[in-house]
Amino acid sequence: MTFIKHSVLALCLSTGSTLVFANETHNSGQGGAEPNIGQAGIAAKAARTVEVTLKDNYFDTEAVTVKAGETIHFVLKNEGALLHEFNIGTSHMHEGHQTEMLKMMQHGMMTMTGMNQDMAGMDHGSMPDMDGMAHNDPNSVLINPGETKELTWTFSGDAELEFACNMPGHYQAGMVGEFKHDA
Amino acid sequence: MRLSNMTRWLLALAALVPLGALAGTYDLVIDRQPITIDGKAKTAMTINGGIPGPTLRFKEGEEVTLNVTNRLDVDTSIHWHGLLLPYTQDGVPGISFPGIKPGETFTYRFPIKQTGTYWYHSHSGFQEQEGVYGPIVIEPANREPFKFDREYVVMLSDWSAETGERIFSNLKGQSDYYNYNQQTVGSFIKDAKDKGFSATLKDRLAWGGMRMMPTDITDVSGYSFLVNGKSTDDNWTGLFRPGERVRLRFVNGSAMSYFDIRIPGLKMTVVQADGNNVQPVSVDEFRIAVAETYDVIVQPKEDRAYSILAESIDRSGFARGTLAPREGLAGEIPELRERPLLTMSDMSMASMGGMDHGSMGHGDMAGMDHSRMQGMDHSNMAGMDHSQMAGMDHSNMAGMDHSQMSAAVPNNDYAPGSGLVPSAANGGRFLVYGDLKAMTPYADYREPDREIELRLTGNMERYFWSINGLKYSEAEPIRLTQGERVRIKFINDTMMSHPMHLHGMWMQLDKGNGQFNPLKHVVNVAPNTTLTVDVPVDALGEWAFHCHLMYHMASGMFRKVIVEPPAVQSAAR
Repeated sequence: MTFIKHSVLALCLSTGSTLVFANETHNSGQGGAEPNIGQAGIAAKAARTVEVTLKDNYFDTEAVTVKAGETIHFVLKNEGALLHEFNIGTSHMHEGHQTEMLKMMQHGMMTMTGMNQDMAGMDHGSMPDMDGMAHNDPNSVLINPGETKELTWTFSGDAELEFACNMPGHYQAGMVGEFKHDA
Repeated sequence: MRLSNMTRWLLALAALVPLGALAGTYDLVIDRQPITIDGKAKTAMTINGGIPGPTLRFKEGEEVTLNVTNRLDVDTSIHWHGLLLPYTQDGVPGISFPGIKPGETFTYRFPIKQTGTYWYHSHSGFQEQEGVYGPIVIEPANREPFKFDREYVVMLSDWSAETGERIFSNLKGQSDYYNYNQQTVGSFIKDAKDKGFSATLKDRLAWGGMRMMPTDITDVSGYSFLVNGKSTDDNWTGLFRPGERVRLRFVNGSAMSYFDIRIPGLKMTVVQADGNNVQPVSVDEFRIAVAETYDVIVQPKEDRAYSILAESIDRSGFARGTLAPREGLAGEIPELRERPLLTMSDMSMASMGGMDHGSMGHGDMAGMDHSRMQGMDHSNMAGMDHSQMAGMDHSNMAGMDHSQMSAAVPNNDYAPGSGLVPSAANGGRFLVYGDLKAMTPYADYREPDREIELRLTGNMERYFWSINGLKYSEAEPIRLTQGERVRIKFINDTMMSHPMHLHGMWMQLDKGNGQFNPLKHVVNVAPNTTLTVDVPVDALGEWAFHCHLMYHMASGMFRKVIVEPPAVQSAAR
């Protein structure tokens, strides 16, 4: 345990300020160049509900078609044995988030099979470079094995978006789907 | 208990019957023919006229029939490496069957009960070195737990103009026959200048006492390394459209060569090891032991050629292939990296026998790279004279760059301070065994019923390799009981790596991942290390268990394993 604390500290110190962590909506990614991906919506006002089942390690849905301004209520069912994420973003944003997720794993905040509740409650905001590591971004949700979670999103129609699981290795192994635009 | 097992088995069998409609017949012909690769001509042994043999594509649940015809003037055999099958179909002469006589055809029949990337090869003489090997791909009945747009087998092998028999007799006659890099009188004088005469002399005597040399990374050199039978110049090429996910099925079909594999510009996401799904892990480079397989997914996004580089671990050459958007392109081939030298850490105390370590002075420890010392187990060093270490400067360890810790798991696959510890060419993440976690937890994971200790032993200069000091011909078989769970503890008392292969049953490689310990058919045991695997003993019959380095196996690092029914049952008969 001491070793873990030690290496967490060392890691924080050594990474310095070179890594940019996404803020709440990921809009200010590297260089602030991320497009408008939309915003969290209200479930009651959603035009429709889309169910997505998460398995080890893939989504049962390859693509979801959306319209600009449309609000969709997602019902996300994790039928796998591993922890998964449903995250709406550009491929570049997912890449950045994967770095964060890897760190959260290394810091013991989560394992491949679930969130570590003891550590999830910790105030990481006070540690340097740990902003954004509580995994509370509105465009993403973590779903434990066997759980069902919901997420409502209003699409801007301005960005090429993917839904992805950024657990280490999962995106690369193909746990990613496409939002297609319906003009 | 026994009855309920039997009932379950019958039910499982009954459930398979509807799938039984799936059946395929495959014909393989083993022959001799002249082949020239990389300017090296010899009369090779081929399967269906080629090296490697054809890729056998099976489907999970299929009943396969394989007719293997021997057109050689000597006995032959085919072993289906990594496949779970009745032991009489396993293809090891003298254990599973008598072999295939010249002019005869042997028909193998078995059901396909697994998925993934495997291979097949002769288990007779040195025929594997001569070209008798090929890949096996088994498609799952259901979808894979990952996604790819296209796939290629990348089979690596080592090709020599010499016959296997010639190589073996050279090794027997003079074990360092192929060690072109051995230290010479010239290097002795240079070392003497750098380290002092006495330290150098003692150093050389120490290595001599072990009958090893620091350059003994591999036994045989002079190989050309091949990708799917093609030399670097012939440049095997796999096509892709930018943005596609490409699955590469790496198989190391070499007789003696390990490789470090990288594709500059691409992360490789490992999704299977030895045919079994693992939780995906993205790395920059990985090491493949002889007879292992790894499946990776890459996503080349640019419209250019990417080199698939498999650098032999003794740095004597590359097996090179290319991923390209069209034919005729080639990526860069970098310089070979520096040849590693074994260190004193790669020697086990046992291999040093009666050596007087007090006299070693540790003069050469000063030059050691201590950055890897974190977590070192010094417990073995009790009797050593540390007085010379006083001047060691550990002060710069405080400034160690932990940002390089992206590999969450430290590399404990090698002895601490080993000269063999690999690092990625781009400074990134290098796969370690601890990274391999089974995709699905093993339901019956539990403490083993018993442990068997196997010391990997040998003598490099007399070139014999053994287990617990005994050659195959001198040893009793290892007897296991069906249904038990046996822990095998490999203790490598030699200074060479040994890829240990168990036929017919999985080894659960124990790197502390518990239920997620991955299932493997080959595990690499590095010099002076201990590695444990758990074997769920679930296949009756007689099986081979051996080091997959061809000339180690031939000289005796081999055992027969006999799996018997539980005693209760035989008493009831």
